[in-house]
Amino acid sequence: MRVIKINLPLQPQQKKELKVRDKIMLSGELYTARDQAHIRLTQMIKEGKPLPFDLLNSALFYCGPAPIPPGKVCGAIGPTTSARMDKYTPLLLENGLRVMIGKGERSKDVTEEISKYDAVYFICVGGISALLAQSVVSCETFCWKELDAEAIYRLVVKDFPCYVAII
Amino acid sequence: MESVRTIPQKQIYKAIIEAIGQIYCQSTPETKSLLNQALAIEEDDVAKDMLQAMLLNEELAAKEQLPICQDTGIVIVFADIGTETKIENGTLYSIVSEAVNDAWGKYYLRDSIAEEPLRYFSNPQKKSKYYSQPVILHLSEILGNKLELHISLKGGGAENCSTLKMFNPTATLTEIEDFIIDTVVSAGGKPCPPVFVGIGIGGDFEQCAILAKRALMIPLPDSEKKPEYLQMEKRILNKINQKGKGVQGFGGKTTALKVNILSQPCHIASLPIAVNIDCHAHRCISISV
Repeated sequence: MRVIKINLPLQPQQKKELKVRDKIMLSGELYTARDQAHIRLTQMIKEGKPLPFDLLNSALFYCGPAPIPPGKVCGAIGPTTSARMDKYTPLLLENGLRVMIGKGERSKDVTEEISKYDAVYFICVGGISALLAQSVVSCETFCWKELDAEAIYRLVVKDFPCYVAII
Repeated sequence: MESVRTIPQKQIYKAIIEAIGQIYCQSTPETKSLLNQALAIEEDDVAKDMLQAMLLNEELAAKEQLPICQDTGIVIVFADIGTETKIENGTLYSIVSEAVNDAWGKYYLRDSIAEEPLRYFSNPQKKSKYYSQPVILHLSEILGNKLELHISLKGGGAENCSTLKMFNPTATLTEIEDFIIDTVVSAGGKPCPPVFVGIGIGGDFEQCAILAKRALMIPLPDSEKKPEYLQMEKRILNKINQKGKGVQGFGGKTTALKVNILSQPCHIASLPIAVNIDCHAHRCISISV
Protein backbone atom coordinates (compact mmCIF):
# COMPACT_ATOMS: atom_id res chain seq x y z
CA MET A 1 0.00 0.00 0.00
CA ARG A 2 1.47 3.30 -1.08
CA VAL A 3 0.95 6.27 1.20
CA ILE A 4 0.89 9.68 -0.48
CA LYS A 5 0.57 13.11 1.10
CA ILE A 6 -1.62 15.57 -0.74
CA ASN A 7 -2.03 19.27 -0.11
CA LEU A 8 -5.30 20.62 -1.44
CA PRO A 9 -6.17 21.96 -3.93
CA LEU A 10 -5.02 18.87 -5.82
CA GLN A 11 -2.55 19.72 -8.59
CA PRO A 12 -3.12 18.00 -11.98
CA GLN A 13 0.48 16.75 -11.92
CA GLN A 14 0.02 15.01 -8.59
CA LYS A 15 -3.38 13.64 -9.63
CA LYS A 16 -1.68 11.79 -12.48
CA GLU A 17 0.46 9.82 -10.02
CA LEU A 18 -2.50 8.44 -8.08
CA LYS A 19 -3.65 4.86 -8.33
CA VAL A 20 -6.78 3.18 -6.98
CA ARG A 21 -6.19 1.87 -3.41
CA ASP A 22 -3.38 4.32 -2.63
CA LYS A 23 -3.67 5.64 0.90
CA ILE A 24 -3.82 9.43 0.96
CA MET A 25 -2.99 11.75 3.82
CA LEU A 26 -5.00 14.79 2.87
CA SER A 27 -4.25 18.30 4.09
CA GLY A 28 -6.05 21.54 3.35
CA GLU A 29 -9.59 22.80 3.12
CA LEU A 30 -12.74 20.66 2.79
CA TYR A 31 -16.38 21.68 2.56
CA THR A 32 -18.96 19.28 3.94
CA ALA A 33 -22.13 18.74 1.92
CA ARG A 34 -24.75 16.05 2.16
CA ASP A 35 -28.26 15.54 0.79
CA GLN A 36 -29.92 18.88 1.57
CA ALA A 37 -26.85 20.96 0.69
CA HIS A 38 -26.66 19.14 -2.65
CA ILE A 39 -30.25 20.08 -3.41
CA ARG A 40 -29.45 23.74 -2.69
CA LEU A 41 -26.18 23.80 -4.64
CA THR A 42 -27.91 22.21 -7.63
CA GLN A 43 -30.77 24.70 -7.45
CA MET A 44 -28.34 27.64 -7.39
CA ILE A 45 -26.44 26.34 -10.41
CA LYS A 46 -29.69 25.88 -12.33
CA GLU A 47 -30.77 29.42 -11.44
CA GLY A 48 -27.37 30.82 -12.44
CA LYS A 49 -26.66 32.13 -8.94
CA PRO A 50 -23.09 32.28 -7.59
CA LEU A 51 -22.24 29.39 -5.24
CA PRO A 52 -21.10 30.06 -1.65
CA PHE A 53 -17.63 28.72 -2.51
CA ASP A 54 -15.56 28.12 -5.61
CA LEU A 55 -16.27 24.54 -6.72
CA LEU A 56 -13.16 24.31 -8.89
CA ASN A 57 -10.69 24.60 -6.02
CA SER A 58 -12.78 22.90 -3.38
CA ALA A 59 -13.03 19.38 -2.10
CA LEU A 60 -16.48 18.15 -1.07
CA PHE A 61 -16.74 15.86 1.93
CA TYR A 62 -20.04 13.97 2.22
CA CYS A 63 -20.42 14.43 5.93
CA GLY A 64 -22.65 15.71 8.70
CA PRO A 65 -20.46 16.19 11.76
CA ALA A 66 -21.56 15.69 15.37
CA PRO A 67 -21.63 18.76 17.68
CA ILE A 68 -18.32 20.05 19.03
CA PRO A 69 -17.81 19.22 22.73
CA PRO A 70 -16.24 21.98 24.85
CA GLY A 71 -12.47 22.12 24.57
CA LYS A 72 -12.38 20.21 21.26
CA VAL A 73 -11.65 21.48 17.77
CA CYS A 74 -14.43 19.39 16.27
CA GLY A 75 -16.86 16.64 17.17
CA ALA A 76 -17.02 13.13 15.80
CA ILE A 77 -16.64 13.35 12.04
CA GLY A 78 -16.78 10.91 9.17
CA PRO A 79 -18.22 10.07 5.76
CA THR A 80 -21.82 9.37 4.84
CA THR A 81 -22.90 7.14 1.94
CA SER A 82 -21.79 8.84 -1.28
CA ALA A 83 -24.26 7.07 -3.57
CA ARG A 84 -27.07 9.29 -2.28
CA MET A 85 -25.28 12.24 -3.87
CA ASP A 86 -24.89 10.49 -7.25
CA LYS A 87 -27.85 12.18 -8.88
CA TYR A 88 -26.37 15.65 -8.19
CA THR A 89 -22.73 14.86 -8.92
CA PRO A 90 -22.59 15.14 -12.75
CA LEU A 91 -23.84 18.76 -12.64
CA LEU A 92 -21.30 19.64 -9.94
CA LEU A 93 -18.51 18.03 -11.98
CA GLU A 94 -19.64 19.99 -15.02
CA ASN A 95 -19.32 23.14 -12.91
CA GLY A 96 -15.80 22.48 -11.72
CA LEU A 97 -15.88 20.01 -8.83
CA ARG A 98 -12.80 17.76 -8.92
CA VAL A 99 -12.38 16.19 -5.46
CA MET A 100 -15.02 14.23 -3.52
CA ILE A 101 -14.66 12.29 -0.28
CA GLY A 102 -17.23 9.85 1.09
CA LYS A 103 -17.86 6.17 1.60
CA GLY A 104 -19.06 3.35 -0.61
CA GLU A 105 -19.42 2.83 -4.34
CA ARG A 106 -20.63 5.36 -6.91
CA SER A 107 -23.05 4.69 -9.75
CA LYS A 108 -21.74 3.62 -13.15
CA ASP A 109 -22.65 7.06 -14.56
CA VAL A 110 -20.83 8.97 -11.83
CA THR A 111 -17.81 6.68 -12.15
CA GLU A 112 -17.62 7.51 -15.86
CA GLU A 113 -18.13 11.23 -15.25
CA ILE A 114 -15.32 11.26 -12.67
CA SER A 115 -12.93 9.89 -15.31
CA LYS A 116 -14.28 12.21 -17.99
CA TYR A 117 -13.65 15.33 -15.88
CA ASP A 118 -10.32 14.04 -14.58
CA ALA A 119 -11.71 14.24 -11.06
CA VAL A 120 -11.03 11.95 -8.12
CA TYR A 121 -13.19 10.20 -5.54
CA PHE A 122 -11.58 9.28 -2.22
CA ILE A 123 -13.17 7.09 0.40
CA CYS A 124 -12.46 7.26 4.07
CA VAL A 125 -13.44 4.63 6.60
CA GLY A 126 -16.92 5.04 8.03
CA GLY A 127 -17.50 4.62 11.74
CA ILE A 128 -14.07 5.79 12.90
CA SER A 129 -15.18 9.30 13.71
CA ALA A 130 -13.20 9.87 16.91
CA LEU A 131 -10.03 8.94 15.04
CA LEU A 132 -10.81 11.14 12.02
CA ALA A 133 -11.55 14.05 14.34
CA GLN A 134 -7.87 13.99 15.35
CA SER A 135 -6.93 15.08 11.82
CA VAL A 136 -9.20 18.11 11.85
CA VAL A 137 -7.48 21.41 12.58
CA SER A 138 -10.61 23.57 12.44
CA CYS A 139 -14.33 23.13 11.87
CA GLU A 140 -16.76 26.01 11.41
CA THR A 141 -20.26 26.37 10.02
CA PHE A 142 -19.75 27.97 6.62
CA CYS A 143 -23.34 28.46 5.44
CA TRP A 144 -26.95 27.28 5.82
CA LYS A 145 -26.68 26.93 9.58
CA GLU A 146 -30.40 26.12 9.76
CA LEU A 147 -29.60 22.75 8.19
CA ASP A 148 -27.81 21.78 11.39
CA ALA A 149 -25.69 18.67 10.67
CA GLU A 150 -26.65 19.03 7.00
CA ALA A 151 -25.23 22.57 6.78
CA ILE A 152 -22.01 23.27 4.90
CA TYR A 153 -19.05 23.25 7.28
CA ARG A 154 -15.59 24.47 6.32
CA LEU A 155 -12.93 22.13 7.64
CA VAL A 156 -9.19 22.44 7.63
CA VAL A 157 -7.58 19.02 7.88
CA LYS A 158 -4.03 17.79 8.35
CA ASP A 159 -3.05 14.28 7.23
CA PHE A 160 -6.68 13.20 7.00
CA PRO A 161 -6.56 9.47 6.06
CA CYS A 162 -8.43 8.31 2.95
CA TYR A 163 -7.97 6.01 -0.04
CA VAL A 164 -8.22 6.54 -3.79
CA ALA A 165 -11.44 4.81 -4.93
CA ILE A 166 -12.18 6.23 -8.39
CA ILE A 167 -9.94 8.20 -10.73
CA MET B 1 -46.19 -14.91 41.60
CA GLU B 2 -43.74 -12.06 42.15
CA SER B 3 -45.04 -9.03 44.00
CA VAL B 4 -45.81 -5.76 42.25
CA ARG B 5 -42.76 -3.52 41.97
CA THR B 6 -43.04 0.19 41.37
CA ILE B 7 -40.04 1.76 39.65
CA PRO B 8 -39.51 5.48 40.15
CA GLN B 9 -39.32 7.47 36.92
CA LYS B 10 -35.94 8.93 37.92
CA GLN B 11 -34.40 5.46 38.20
CA ILE B 12 -35.32 4.53 34.63
CA TYR B 13 -34.27 7.95 33.34
CA LYS B 14 -30.83 7.70 34.98
CA ALA B 15 -30.29 4.12 33.80
CA ILE B 16 -30.98 5.10 30.18
CA ILE B 17 -28.66 8.11 30.26
CA GLU B 18 -25.93 5.91 31.73
CA ALA B 19 -26.52 3.17 29.15
CA ILE B 20 -26.29 5.64 26.24
CA GLY B 21 -23.13 7.02 27.88
CA GLN B 22 -21.61 3.55 27.63
CA ILE B 23 -22.46 2.84 24.00
CA TYR B 24 -22.08 6.12 22.10
CA CYS B 25 -18.30 5.90 22.44
CA GLN B 26 -17.77 2.16 22.02
CA SER B 27 -19.28 -0.78 20.23
CA THR B 28 -20.12 -4.04 22.00
CA PRO B 29 -17.26 -6.12 23.49
CA GLU B 30 -18.18 -8.85 20.98
CA THR B 31 -17.64 -6.40 18.10
CA LYS B 32 -14.13 -5.57 19.23
CA SER B 33 -13.26 -9.23 19.56
CA LEU B 34 -14.69 -9.99 16.09
CA LEU B 35 -12.76 -7.05 14.57
CA ASN B 36 -9.59 -8.41 16.15
CA GLN B 37 -10.31 -11.85 14.67
CA ALA B 38 -10.95 -10.28 11.26
CA LEU B 39 -7.62 -8.43 11.49
CA ALA B 40 -5.79 -11.64 12.45
CA ILE B 41 -6.92 -13.49 9.29
CA GLU B 42 -6.76 -10.54 6.87
CA GLU B 43 -4.12 -10.54 4.14
CA ASP B 44 -5.13 -7.48 2.14
CA ASP B 45 -3.01 -4.50 3.22
CA VAL B 46 -5.73 -1.87 2.76
CA ALA B 47 -8.31 -3.98 4.62
CA LYS B 48 -5.79 -4.48 7.44
CA ASP B 49 -5.13 -0.76 7.58
CA MET B 50 -8.88 -0.06 7.82
CA LEU B 51 -9.48 -2.70 10.51
CA GLN B 52 -6.60 -1.30 12.55
CA ALA B 53 -8.16 2.16 12.23
CA MET B 54 -11.50 0.78 13.51
CA LEU B 55 -9.84 -0.78 16.54
CA LEU B 56 -7.80 2.34 17.22
CA ASN B 57 -10.98 4.40 16.96
CA GLU B 58 -12.64 2.24 19.60
CA GLU B 59 -9.82 2.96 22.04
CA LEU B 60 -9.63 6.64 21.23
CA ALA B 61 -13.39 7.25 21.34
CA ALA B 62 -13.68 5.69 24.79
CA LYS B 63 -10.68 7.66 26.03
CA GLU B 64 -11.70 11.01 24.51
CA GLN B 65 -15.42 10.45 25.14
CA LEU B 66 -16.20 11.11 21.49
CA PRO B 67 -18.83 9.20 19.51
CA ILE B 68 -17.38 6.24 17.57
CA CYS B 69 -19.42 7.44 14.62
CA GLN B 70 -20.69 10.93 13.84
CA ASP B 71 -23.98 9.27 12.95
CA THR B 72 -25.08 8.78 16.53
CA GLY B 73 -28.18 7.23 15.09
CA ILE B 74 -31.79 6.69 15.82
CA VAL B 75 -32.53 5.23 19.26
CA ILE B 76 -34.19 1.84 19.24
CA VAL B 77 -35.43 0.33 22.48
CA PHE B 78 -36.89 -3.12 23.04
CA ALA B 79 -38.50 -3.01 26.46
CA ASP B 80 -39.49 -6.26 28.11
CA ILE B 81 -41.82 -5.20 30.86
CA GLY B 82 -43.07 -7.48 33.60
CA THR B 83 -46.76 -8.04 34.26
CA GLU B 84 -46.06 -7.03 37.89
CA THR B 85 -43.93 -3.99 37.00
CA LYS B 86 -45.42 -0.57 37.55
CA ILE B 87 -43.84 2.63 36.36
CA GLU B 88 -44.31 5.60 38.63
CA ASN B 89 -45.42 8.83 36.96
CA GLY B 90 -45.77 8.75 33.25
CA THR B 91 -45.34 6.30 30.43
CA LEU B 92 -42.17 4.42 29.61
CA TYR B 93 -42.17 6.22 26.25
CA SER B 94 -42.12 9.66 27.87
CA ILE B 95 -39.30 8.66 30.23
CA VAL B 96 -37.20 7.17 27.43
CA SER B 97 -37.77 10.27 25.30
CA GLU B 98 -36.73 12.64 28.05
CA ALA B 99 -33.62 10.58 28.84
CA VAL B 100 -32.61 10.43 25.17
CA ASN B 101 -33.11 14.16 24.76
CA ASP B 102 -30.90 14.87 27.78
CA ALA B 103 -28.29 12.23 26.87
CA TRP B 104 -27.97 13.88 23.45
CA GLY B 105 -27.14 17.21 25.07
CA LYS B 106 -24.86 15.68 27.69
CA TYR B 107 -22.72 13.65 25.29
CA TYR B 108 -22.79 16.01 22.26
CA LEU B 109 -24.57 13.57 19.96
CA ARG B 110 -25.91 14.50 16.54
CA ASP B 111 -29.57 15.25 15.95
CA SER B 112 -30.17 12.88 13.06
CA ILE B 113 -33.96 12.72 12.96
CA ALA B 114 -35.73 14.90 10.42
CA GLU B 115 -39.06 16.00 11.84
CA GLU B 116 -40.85 15.72 8.51
CA PRO B 117 -39.88 12.61 6.52
CA LEU B 118 -41.08 14.24 3.32
CA ARG B 119 -38.90 17.32 3.48
CA TYR B 120 -41.08 19.00 0.87
CA PHE B 121 -43.77 19.24 3.53
CA SER B 122 -41.60 20.79 6.29
CA ASN B 123 -42.72 24.08 7.71
CA PRO B 124 -40.31 26.66 6.23
CA GLN B 125 -40.96 29.04 9.17
CA LYS B 126 -39.71 26.54 11.73
CA LYS B 127 -36.14 27.20 12.78
CA SER B 128 -34.98 23.70 13.62
CA LYS B 129 -36.11 20.57 11.87
CA TYR B 130 -33.66 18.14 13.43
CA TYR B 131 -34.05 16.23 16.65
CA SER B 132 -32.81 13.18 18.57
CA GLN B 133 -36.34 11.76 18.52
CA PRO B 134 -38.80 10.16 18.31
CA VAL B 135 -37.28 6.96 19.59
CA ILE B 136 -38.49 3.63 18.27
CA LEU B 137 -39.92 1.72 21.22
CA HIS B 138 -41.04 -1.92 21.08
CA LEU B 139 -42.84 -3.16 24.17
CA SER B 140 -43.18 -6.82 25.11
CA GLU B 141 -44.80 -8.35 28.13
CA ILE B 142 -42.91 -10.78 30.33
CA LEU B 143 -44.02 -12.53 33.51
CA GLY B 144 -42.78 -11.15 36.81
CA ASN B 145 -41.73 -7.68 37.98
CA LYS B 146 -38.65 -7.00 35.87
CA LEU B 147 -37.96 -4.24 33.39
CA GLU B 148 -35.36 -5.14 30.77
CA LEU B 149 -34.28 -2.48 28.30
CA HIS B 150 -32.32 -3.30 25.16
CA ILE B 151 -31.02 -0.08 23.66
CA SER B 152 -29.29 0.58 20.36
CA LEU B 153 -28.01 3.69 18.57
CA LYS B 154 -28.40 2.78 14.94
CA GLY B 155 -26.85 4.61 12.00
CA GLY B 156 -28.79 5.36 8.82
CA GLY B 157 -26.30 4.08 6.25
CA ALA B 158 -26.58 0.45 7.32
CA GLU B 159 -30.32 0.65 7.95
CA ASN B 160 -30.79 1.85 4.35
CA CYS B 161 -29.34 -1.40 3.01
CA SER B 162 -31.93 -3.58 4.74
CA THR B 163 -34.54 -5.60 2.82
CA LEU B 164 -37.79 -7.48 3.35
CA LYS B 165 -39.32 -9.94 0.94
CA MET B 166 -42.56 -11.91 1.14
CA PHE B 167 -41.51 -15.30 -0.23
CA ASN B 168 -43.83 -18.12 -1.20
CA PRO B 169 -43.88 -20.80 1.50
CA THR B 170 -42.43 -23.24 -1.05
CA ALA B 171 -39.28 -21.15 -1.61
CA THR B 172 -36.16 -23.29 -1.38
CA LEU B 173 -33.49 -22.74 1.25
CA THR B 174 -31.13 -21.76 -1.57
CA GLU B 175 -33.53 -19.07 -2.81
CA ILE B 176 -33.88 -17.67 0.70
CA GLU B 177 -30.17 -17.74 1.46
CA ASP B 178 -29.31 -16.19 -1.91
CA PHE B 179 -31.68 -13.30 -1.18
CA ILE B 180 -30.00 -12.69 2.18
CA ILE B 181 -26.48 -12.98 0.77
CA ASP B 182 -27.34 -10.70 -2.15
CA THR B 183 -28.73 -8.07 0.24
CA VAL B 184 -25.41 -7.87 2.06
CA VAL B 185 -23.11 -8.25 -0.94
CA SER B 186 -24.93 -5.80 -3.20
CA ALA B 187 -24.82 -3.20 -0.41
CA GLY B 188 -21.06 -3.07 -0.99
CA GLY B 189 -19.34 -0.39 1.09
CA LYS B 190 -22.53 1.58 1.82
CA PRO B 191 -23.40 0.03 5.23
CA CYS B 192 -19.79 0.36 6.50
CA PRO B 193 -18.70 -3.28 6.47
CA PRO B 194 -17.76 -5.46 8.20
CA VAL B 195 -21.40 -5.62 9.19
CA PHE B 196 -23.74 -7.48 11.49
CA VAL B 197 -26.65 -9.22 9.79
CA GLY B 198 -29.95 -9.69 11.59
CA ILE B 199 -32.42 -12.00 9.89
CA GLY B 200 -36.11 -12.33 10.63
CA ILE B 201 -37.89 -15.42 9.35
CA GLY B 202 -41.65 -15.79 9.65
CA GLY B 203 -44.23 -13.74 11.50
CA ASP B 204 -46.08 -11.32 9.26
CA PHE B 205 -44.86 -8.26 7.32
CA GLU B 206 -44.00 -6.00 10.27
CA GLN B 207 -43.22 -8.71 12.80
CA CYS B 208 -40.62 -10.15 10.46
CA ALA B 209 -38.79 -6.80 10.34
CA ILE B 210 -38.96 -6.55 14.12
CA LEU B 211 -37.49 -10.06 14.40
CA ALA B 212 -34.60 -9.01 12.17
CA LYS B 213 -33.91 -5.96 14.32
CA ARG B 214 -34.18 -8.01 17.49
CA ALA B 215 -31.76 -10.57 15.98
CA LEU B 216 -29.24 -7.73 15.59
CA MET B 217 -29.71 -6.30 19.05
CA ILE B 218 -30.64 -9.27 21.23
CA PRO B 219 -29.48 -12.43 19.46
CA LEU B 220 -30.25 -15.78 21.04
CA PRO B 221 -27.26 -17.55 22.57
CA ASP B 222 -26.03 -20.27 20.20
CA SER B 223 -27.04 -22.91 22.75
CA GLU B 224 -30.69 -21.87 22.41
CA LYS B 225 -30.73 -21.94 18.61
CA LYS B 226 -32.16 -24.82 16.64
CA PRO B 227 -29.14 -26.60 15.07
CA GLU B 228 -30.56 -26.09 11.57
CA TYR B 229 -30.67 -22.33 12.10
CA LEU B 230 -27.19 -22.29 13.58
CA GLN B 231 -25.88 -24.09 10.48
CA MET B 232 -27.79 -21.72 8.24
CA GLU B 233 -26.19 -18.71 9.98
CA LYS B 234 -22.72 -20.17 9.47
CA ARG B 235 -23.42 -21.02 5.83
CA ILE B 236 -24.71 -17.50 5.10
CA LEU B 237 -21.76 -15.86 6.88
CA ASN B 238 -19.23 -17.96 4.97
CA LYS B 239 -20.90 -17.34 1.62
CA ILE B 240 -21.07 -13.57 2.21
CA ASN B 241 -17.40 -13.45 3.14
CA GLN B 242 -16.37 -15.64 0.21
CA LYS B 243 -17.71 -12.95 -2.15
CA GLY B 244 -14.81 -10.74 -1.07
CA LYS B 245 -16.55 -7.34 -0.84
CA GLY B 246 -14.51 -6.89 2.30
CA VAL B 247 -13.86 -4.03 4.67
CA GLN B 248 -15.72 -0.90 3.54
CA GLY B 249 -16.46 -2.70 0.26
CA PHE B 250 -12.82 -2.23 -0.67
CA GLY B 251 -11.88 -5.91 -0.67
CA GLY B 252 -10.74 -8.39 1.95
CA LYS B 253 -11.80 -11.48 3.81
CA THR B 254 -14.42 -10.07 6.14
CA THR B 255 -17.60 -8.41 4.86
CA ALA B 256 -19.81 -9.65 7.72
CA LEU B 257 -18.79 -10.27 11.32
CA LYS B 258 -21.87 -12.17 12.49
CA VAL B 259 -25.20 -13.46 11.23
CA ASN B 260 -28.08 -13.95 13.66
CA ILE B 261 -31.49 -15.41 12.87
CA LEU B 262 -34.73 -15.16 14.81
CA SER B 263 -37.79 -17.04 13.58
CA GLN B 264 -41.41 -17.51 14.48
CA PRO B 265 -44.42 -19.28 12.99
CA CYS B 266 -46.21 -17.69 10.06
CA HIS B 267 -49.35 -17.98 7.91
CA ILE B 268 -49.49 -21.01 5.59
CA ALA B 269 -49.55 -18.72 2.53
CA SER B 270 -46.53 -16.66 3.60
CA LEU B 271 -42.83 -16.78 4.25
CA PRO B 272 -41.59 -13.30 5.12
CA ILE B 273 -37.81 -12.84 5.22
CA ALA B 274 -36.24 -9.63 6.56
CA VAL B 275 -32.58 -8.68 6.53
CA ASN B 276 -31.51 -5.85 8.81
CA ILE B 277 -27.91 -4.68 8.66
CA ASP B 278 -25.80 -2.91 11.28
CA CYS B 279 -22.38 -1.39 10.72
CA HIS B 280 -19.21 -2.30 12.63
CA ALA B 281 -20.01 0.63 14.94
CA HIS B 282 -22.45 -1.75 16.60
CA ARG B 283 -23.81 0.12 19.60
CA CYS B 284 -26.13 -2.05 21.71
CA ILE B 285 -26.63 -2.59 25.40
CA SER B 286 -29.07 -4.55 27.57
CA ILE B 287 -29.88 -3.33 31.07
CA SER B 288 -32.18 -4.34 33.90
CA VAL B 289 -33.83 -1.55 35.82
